[in-house]
Amino acid sequence: MAQIEQSDKGGKKKKGAQKKMSIHVDFTPMVDMNMLLITFFMLCTTMIKSQTLQIVLPTNENVKKEQQSQAKQSEAITLILDTEYEGDKPKIDGETGKTVHNIYYYEGIADTLFQTSKYLTKEQFIGNVNREAQGIRKILRGKNQQVMAQYETLKNQWKNKEITKEEFDKLAKQNAADSLKTRPVVVIKPGPNTTYEGLINAIDEMNINQISRYSIQLPTSVDTVLLKHYEQTHPGETIIRPLVRKTNNEPANPAQNG
Amino acid sequence: MGKVKIKRKSTLIDMTAMSDVTVLLLTFFMLTSTFLQKEPTIVYTPSSVSEEKVPMNNVVTVLVSSADKSGKLEDPSTVEGKLFISFTGDADSTLSSENIRGMMLDEAVALYNEQHKNAPIALTAAQKAAFRQTNMFGTSFQHLPDLLTMSVTERDKEQGDLTNPNVGIPINDNKNRDGRLNDFQIWLKAIYNVAQRINNEQREDPSLTEEQRANLSNLYTALMRKGQGIAIKADKDTPFTTVQLVFDNLQTMKLNKFSLMTALKSEDEPTQ
Repeated sequence: MAQIEQSDKGGKKKKGAQKKMSIHVDFTPMVDMNMLLITFFMLCTTMIKSQTLQIVLPTNENVKKEQQSQAKQSEAITLILDTEYEGDKPKIDGETGKTVHNIYYYEGIADTLFQTSKYLTKEQFIGNVNREAQGIRKILRGKNQQVMAQYETLKNQWKNKEITKEEFDKLAKQNAADSLKTRPVVVIKPGPNTTYEGLINAIDEMNINQISRYSIQLPTSVDTVLLKHYEQTHPGETIIRPLVRKTNNEPANPAQNG
Repeated sequence: MGKVKIKRKSTLIDMTAMSDVTVLLLTFFMLTSTFLQKEPTIVYTPSSVSEEKVPMNNVVTVLVSSADKSGKLEDPSTVEGKLFISFTGDADSTLSSENIRGMMLDEAVALYNEQHKNAPIALTAAQKAAFRQTNMFGTSFQHLPDLLTMSVTERDKEQGDLTNPNVGIPINDNKNRDGRLNDFQIWLKAIYNVAQRINNEQREDPSLTEEQRANLSNLYTALMRKGQGIAIKADKDTPFTTVQLVFDNLQTMKLNKFSLMTALKSEDEPTQ
């Protein structure tokens, strides 16, 4: 471990001169132990904390029709979500390695008579390509242009250090909820085969595009009619499929009904 | 020609510098680390651009189990959608995680027994103490005493086996049929009641100034004002219908504001 070496060079020494001692301490075991401890701490820690996404849902009590607020037809946009499956697993895109989610959207009130061209359009979550919004983001951004223009100005002000992060957050929030601007009302309808990721992606798009008014609802029979029509006009695509995974609704334990 | 002398060099390497570095690294990891909490199952959360961090204190985490990914089960979806709850209290002593868990347990058991007068459950002091030490649990009220009697290893083993019908908090139906709540709803109600009680107590605390009272930060304010009191953690491949059931129960219990746990991604990243 540690040794004391005597240096006896030359062999000629004056009598009475102190022997020169050099001390070598072998640190190898200490390093070994430290490495082990480091490994332990590295494996046991969470360096990145999870993020959260805030969500506010409406009450699920019955609300009278008079009390319901109606969105303007020109502002409304409905997104029907769907996830593609391969067997019982969500289908993974070979190129990106991400799950394939499809969005079928329509604007305004659904035209179930199919007299206008307001049919469903298929889109995907593509994100940005070369910093340009693509896919569903482009469409939502187009609907929310007024808010986004102001948002970009604020963002530039923040980047140029004209306003602080707190001010920016506050102003951006006010801007997103500015009732003087034309803002869309988005209804997100996750289809029965949608995965949780699909929903999160949709909520994420709302945050990215500064859309303050959106709700999550279950698809109605009108949506099924629209999807059916989409299937008919686009041969080879099937959206209405049996449930891939059913929800585990275990029968109630009889002992609990005491 | 003189002989070439090969000098005998010592093979000793000076490890001092290496040791210095490792000690530094060790100190860094020791100081920055927060230990991973024990969870019965691993889920991979989807990613979002939201930069809000999961709060460290005053949060109730609801974990929704994912389908089996190991491929060992014949039907991987049988283990999907099992619920687990974990309580994290304040950093300070009186409302620490242990004390919060104790209060939640007392409240929930009282609520349960009120609804199930024919089959009430009773917990011993030892079982309650065991619950205070448990980070995450998922079981029905009927099985709770049994679970808490087990040793820690046995408990972890049972909770980790998702095929066991006793694992997971029952969330059978979301309607208040004959006014009776399901087990998950009882827990939610207990969370709300306890949070409100703590809030009221703190509000009446005479040692606080007016300003402090207005800016109280506890589980109740997190639940009601910020929507950070309940965080749902679900796997990205979990079907929406399974998560929807949890949402629906939260809505029924009037806890409409909550947060969803996600991982971070950048805005430019392709989502698909």
